[in-house]
Amino acid sequence: MVEKYEFDTNGLVMSPSPHLFSKRTSAWIMQQVIIALIFPAIAGTYFFGLKVLIMLFVGIFSSVLFEYLYQKISRKKVTISDYSAVVTGMLIALSLPVTAPLWSIILGSGFAILIVKQIPGGIGRNVFNPAVAARVMLKLFFSPWITNWVTPEPDVVATATPLESIGYFSKTVPEEIPDLWDLFLGIGLGGNIGETSKLAILIGLAYLVIRGIINLKIPVLYVLTVAIIMSIYGDFSFTYMMSHVLSGTLLFGATYMATDYSSGPLTPDGKTVFAIGCGMLTAVIRIVFNFPGGVGFAILIMNALAPTIDKYLAPRIYGHKKRILRNSLN
Amino acid sequence: MKIKLMRKREGVYNEVRKERTDERPIEAATVPEYLVFPLNMHIGAPANPIVEVGDKVKIGTLIAEKKGNISANIYASVSGEVFDISDQPTVKGIAPCITIKNNYKEEWEEPFYSENDKLTVTQMKEVIDKAGIVGMGGATFPTSVKLSPPSGTRIDTLIINGAECEPYSTADHRLMVEHAVELIEGVRILARILDVNQVYVALESDTHDSAEEMKKIIDQEDHIDIVELETIYPQGSEKNLIKKLTNREVPSGGLPADVHTVVVNVATALAVYEAIHLRRPSIERITTVSGEPIKEPKNLRVRIGTPISYLIDDCHGFCTNPGKMIHGGPMMGTTINSGRIPITKGTSVITFLEKGEALRSDRTSCIKCSECLNVCPVSLQPILISQAYENGDLDKAERLGALDCIDCGNCSYICPAKIPLLDNIRAAKKEIRSRQEAK
Ligand code: SF4
Ligand code: SF4
Repeated sequence: MVEKYEFDTNGLVMSPSPHLFSKRTSAWIMQQVIIALIFPAIAGTYFFGLKVLIMLFVGIFSSVLFEYLYQKISRKKVTISDYSAVVTGMLIALSLPVTAPLWSIILGSGFAILIVKQIPGGIGRNVFNPAVAARVMLKLFFSPWITNWVTPEPDVVATATPLESIGYFSKTVPEEIPDLWDLFLGIGLGGNIGETSKLAILIGLAYLVIRGIINLKIPVLYVLTVAIIMSIYGDFSFTYMMSHVLSGTLLFGATYMATDYSSGPLTPDGKTVFAIGCGMLTAVIRIVFNFPGGVGFAILIMNALAPTIDKYLAPRIYGHKKRILRNSLN
Repeated sequence: MKIKLMRKREGVYNEVRKERTDERPIEAATVPEYLVFPLNMHIGAPANPIVEVGDKVKIGTLIAEKKGNISANIYASVSGEVFDISDQPTVKGIAPCITIKNNYKEEWEEPFYSENDKLTVTQMKEVIDKAGIVGMGGATFPTSVKLSPPSGTRIDTLIINGAECEPYSTADHRLMVEHAVELIEGVRILARILDVNQVYVALESDTHDSAEEMKKIIDQEDHIDIVELETIYPQGSEKNLIKKLTNREVPSGGLPADVHTVVVNVATALAVYEAIHLRRPSIERITTVSGEPIKEPKNLRVRIGTPISYLIDDCHGFCTNPGKMIHGGPMMGTTINSGRIPITKGTSVITFLEKGEALRSDRTSCIKCSECLNVCPVSLQPILISQAYENGDLDKAERLGALDCIDCGNCSYICPAKIPLLDNIRAAKKEIRSRQEAK
């Protein structure tokens, strides 16, 4: 009979297909985000000094520690090795001005990790982006301590962000706004650490896109929506439009916050709506309310809407005529 | 690196590992002493054995007859005698097989049909049916059935599928390079039978030289277009090919014929040529044997019924211990654990994976990266179906389109959290189907 099989068949693994798996893991993806955040972190350190490094360290350390302690105490699997808490910590530190006291970073991290992320069930289950929620919370309740708190270092001045000087309902750019090139590079600006150099943010964005972590859809649609609305509102003044694009957290938020997987939509069309929604809300908040943090609010509101958006915009399955109807799913 | 802004990606750019064999000419495989013919080597009813132990056979002797409409004849691929008819290990598990002992005389049977004049279309279909030709891309659906669409269904497009998308497969590629003339002749026969004017031969752009070979041969009046497609998995799936080439979508639960299209694999088209012009039934095929553990990967012309262990010997064995032996490619193939399992009409590639590649990583939490949606060729939401299944909500899994999944494996392949998405979707499909049957 056919007895000719000399190789060792005992060691062969039997399992259903597929038999190959991509090398990407969640931890690797988070590492890429960390690398992309290093660019604005370097720019921030360059413009604001070494305190930025301390702030980053405090953000990372406290976020990771909160996650570890929560998971230990609630006897869950400790998942700090997925690096997502590191990302949150970096984002919180970078979304504050250098004048912010260290306790505010710790407070923000605790809020982000414990309340926003872990209580709903941990990574992937949070409705809101933890870092954005923490930033908005700090802005709302601790604004005086954060924005007006001047460090003893002589070279750090708490300047107003360019956005504040544009003023609400204003359609023109006041004199004291730095020129666009300085806005782009981040020269001589106040504001939050991470959002200062648009150049550094764009390098980080390019890195994320090349690595295939995010695609350009959300950032481009988000910024484009703001740009279009501001153009129309500002009677098509290029300077006015660009001042809005290059001021505040818009580019930083569009790159690192609106693209967050967990708190954004899952479906391709949902992402389109989400990005445009973020852009529209940001523009409206800026025009009507004139207070910093418009980007954070816009993203949080769209975060809250993301599950609903996904339900309505489920992709049309190949060979089917219509999308899956939302009410057939509940 | 592909940067796409708005367009949906329709698969994964997984590592192509064809370079190991794509320039290796097809070699004849060793013809073993015992060959095993599973009676269920095609889709549909198993064939009915018409020989008995001890019967003498020649190359091309009918040994098992098709049973019912969806089934296929099986022919001896060597001369010798019927040694055994019993249950043997096959890709589909233990199943009835005919074993033939080779007498190494290479005696041929008379041609399996005698007609040598111009065949009518009906006669050609009969010959293809008689020759036992089934889809050689792996689906093993009887070709004659495909060529006879239900009355009232008009076919206007024929697609010849040379888009071999599994990472290691090069059998179809070599066939297109080395047998372009015969292949195109087979395509002409198929086009005549179906009476279509539009024929596409689709292949992936990384196998560019095969396109060149075929373009040289095509006449002005052939209406055959050679189409080079992006190298992306699963480019070769029927549904994707039809959409790419004709922009038609096969309705959910339907067949290509519903959108006036027939898809035939290149190896099948060659078998059609051999049946009509050489008057030879389906007795051999080209199979790639590859994967890192294989010492000398090859494209082999194999007699149907050859146990896999002989092919391993033809490739001089292993350089590292294999962790997985796969009948088919690493994306859709079936793991097997016996060298006795024979090559059948549908075996286009045997892939070996190393121990390290064979193990799955630990599952972590879904991070909602959307990758499983991005790579699903039929636009499902794999994570939602998987979650619905894990929550025991079969109704929801069904409404989410679980039954539309084509088992391509992309979602499980790409998931950074290593969630066994396809395992869950398959389990859901199975339960949904059994529930439907119970009704
Ligand atoms: S690919 Fe995996 S991690 Fe990403 S959304 Fe799908 S199931 Fe979740
Ligand atoms: S759900 Fe099915 S068809 Fe879609 S990617 Fe997964 S295996 Fe492929």
